[in-house]
Amino acid sequence: MSLSYIFKRLLGMVPLLLGVSLILFGVLHLAPGGPLDVYADNPSVTQEALDNMKRAFGLDQPLPVQYFKWVTAFFQGEWGFSIRTAQPVMEEVLARVPATLMLSGSAFVLALIVALPLGILSATRRYTVVDYFITLLSFLGISTPVFWLALMLQLLFAVQWKLLPSAGMQTIGDGSLPDILRHLALPMFILAFASVAGWSRYMRSSMVEILSQDYIRTARAKGVSSRRVTYSHAFRNALIPVVTVVALDSAAILSGAVITETIFAWPGLGRLFIDSMNGRDYPVLMALLMVGSFALVVSNLVADLAYSLIDPRIRYD
Amino acid sequence: MGYQIQAAGSTRQKRLVLGLSAAILLSGMGLAQQRGGTLTVGLGYDIDTLNVYSTGFLGDVQAAVVEGLVAPNEKAEYVPVLATRVPTVQNGGIKVAADNKSMVVTYQLRPGVKWSDGKPFTSADVKFTWETVKDPKFIAESKDGTEDIASIQTPNDLTVVVNYKRVAPDFKSTLFTFGILPKHTLEGKDLNTDNYNQMPLGTGPFKVSQFVKGQYVVLDRNPYYWRKDKAGVQLPYLDKMIFKIIPDSNTLVTQLKSGEIQMAYSVPYSQIAQLDNQPGLNVVKNPVLSWQHLDFNLKGPAPLRDINVRKAMAHALDRTTISKALGGYPIPIDTVVVPVFSYSNKNVPKYPYDPAKARQLLDAAGYKVGSDGIRAKNGQRLSFNIMAQAGRSTDEDAQQVIIAQMKAIGIELKPDNKAGVALRDARYKGGYDLYYGGWITSADPSYSVFFGSKGVNNGQGYSNPKIDALLATADSSLDPAVRTKALRDFQTTLMQDLPSIPVTSNPSMIVVTDKLGGFVPNPTNMTNFVNTSGWYLKK
Repeated sequence: MSLSYIFKRLLGMVPLLLGVSLILFGVLHLAPGGPLDVYADNPSVTQEALDNMKRAFGLDQPLPVQYFKWVTAFFQGEWGFSIRTAQPVMEEVLARVPATLMLSGSAFVLALIVALPLGILSATRRYTVVDYFITLLSFLGISTPVFWLALMLQLLFAVQWKLLPSAGMQTIGDGSLPDILRHLALPMFILAFASVAGWSRYMRSSMVEILSQDYIRTARAKGVSSRRVTYSHAFRNALIPVVTVVALDSAAILSGAVITETIFAWPGLGRLFIDSMNGRDYPVLMALLMVGSFALVVSNLVADLAYSLIDPRIRYD
Repeated sequence: MGYQIQAAGSTRQKRLVLGLSAAILLSGMGLAQQRGGTLTVGLGYDIDTLNVYSTGFLGDVQAAVVEGLVAPNEKAEYVPVLATRVPTVQNGGIKVAADNKSMVVTYQLRPGVKWSDGKPFTSADVKFTWETVKDPKFIAESKDGTEDIASIQTPNDLTVVVNYKRVAPDFKSTLFTFGILPKHTLEGKDLNTDNYNQMPLGTGPFKVSQFVKGQYVVLDRNPYYWRKDKAGVQLPYLDKMIFKIIPDSNTLVTQLKSGEIQMAYSVPYSQIAQLDNQPGLNVVKNPVLSWQHLDFNLKGPAPLRDINVRKAMAHALDRTTISKALGGYPIPIDTVVVPVFSYSNKNVPKYPYDPAKARQLLDAAGYKVGSDGIRAKNGQRLSFNIMAQAGRSTDEDAQQVIIAQMKAIGIELKPDNKAGVALRDARYKGGYDLYYGGWITSADPSYSVFFGSKGVNNGQGYSNPKIDALLATADSSLDPAVRTKALRDFQTTLMQDLPSIPVTSNPSMIVVTDKLGGFVPNPTNMTNFVNTSGWYLKK
């Protein structure tokens, strides 16, 4: 792996993101309605006022012109103004980034810490009670709807036991670290639960496959300890397919968890996306979608780089 | 004027400000009310801006901060707030020109009122409000009433003379009821981007001390508030009000149960049962000025233009069943004017539940039941799309009942639900066959927006010159007898034409801590927070 390789990959992202932005822009504008339709309910907004607004937001221009203007401004860091709140888009988005990073980021780390050992445990204890129990939990995690689990945990922890707050990011007037962590606990757990379920299954099946390979048998035959075989020989090779899945999921850290954020009144990017979507707030939507696409492209690159770290046979030139 | 009801509590209309007097009377009666305390309220939507003129939602928070000259009370009657009286023809506050084509409204302002920064409130602020909202550069969600005003004179600090271009009986439900803008801080500023949108300055009982986007708004007591209770105690009683943004209605209920919030409104009917017997909470039923209706798109499929088909559907619709499916709270109605209004007409043509008659009507009109159970005539099947607001569970439940009831007479309805802008696009451009939804109005509604040929909310393509004439009379007369007659005749004609079937009037359910005293719900589109100064928490 060389620096010039990374540079080439980064350069390749520009046309890719441009293409993505063109498609997103087109799809958004194909959807019925536009931002000014929110005024349709209001009898006192005259046609003249609507025309003024159209001009002010540049919505009167042909679509290709609008797109070209948007692209040039976007790459200069000028993300425009939200039609819904009249605030700069950059400000709106940046205001929500910390909350999303905190929730999705911590859930991601937690899921990783729990999922990999669980998967290995499940694979090495194949067809034992431990394996069946972990499998059962995984299937529960994959098939339980987020909103139902959230509701149950809220009832248990907030209403019955009064241990944790049911929603929000901080107690108003508090906002200290312990306070935020208390608020973070439930949504983080729920978000992590689903990931753990999926990732541990990948880890298990990948591990099972590797453990049946000839070289593992050879290592065992040569008298290498079982622990060493598992963690040194098998684990690294089993990680490669898991990394792909985990890396692609990690893009979601920046896109926000729409359902979890809504249920827990967590002020992140996922909720901003829903509100902007309902109002067809094009500038905010484009910014959010581009941030999400960028995260996805970058996590792909990171996954590729991680392969070569895990397995020296994989090289990029 | 009216607007469509949107997601729980996020009605797109906001009007008026402080209701007051009843709460003050109540609070003056006992000595029980305590000063101090914080009330935390859950809001089911994410606040876009705190500027009453720009927001896409009802101004809940704004109503506790910004006041208008008058406001509707709990009986939907206008009472004075920053004005000393509500102008009428009788008290000389309104003078209609001899040619009956214009009018002059004079407001006497309350002396001694201050903005929450301590600066005096004067007639210049009122004039400034009109000029600012009218300015085409200001991108407002609502400019109601600005176009009707020709000029404003301010002969002294406490007198405002408003010259209207037309006789406008609905003048109270617009501009100055909405809220007054402070001239001394906003003059020369760009209101589209000014910090006023996050921290509005008002004369109301509370002032904004913190607004954290996507999370909450904290209101503190306004030390300069002008109102005292009967015992001479400075209002408001509460120290603080906190509005927490909680978009999920299940979470809202959970927060009520766990005590994290003490009040929520527009709680879905399906969740009331689990809160009814919750100790420490009261459920308050607020009969709001709203009606649910099933609209026909008369520019849509041809059978919908056949009055027999519409009449048959009206007879096939069992309002009682719909009400039962929604917990029994909705009140069945026969006309679009809700019973609260004195001009609601009880003698309109009615379409009682009678599926046999519905079938007869369809048989007589030539719609025969086909092999699939659906009626058809000349190959045209009675199969339509029915649109409701996606995610609005109350409406979606009612929609299911309607689909089942229509199937019983051989009409097929297929749900086609939309949300947000897509819903409005379909509504106003006629992109639907049938639409089930609701309207909520101000205390002084104008029905021409919904049913006039050129009505901006008329996405049905409905047009009847007789209706237009009756509504024009109602919209331009200050004589209650003339208005009442015109509006009653309008209802009769409308129910003969049946462009829309009135279904139920749905009350709004408010759940609130039993410690809150002085709370009076408001049925108008002004929100329940129009009279917060008299609210108090029992210790």
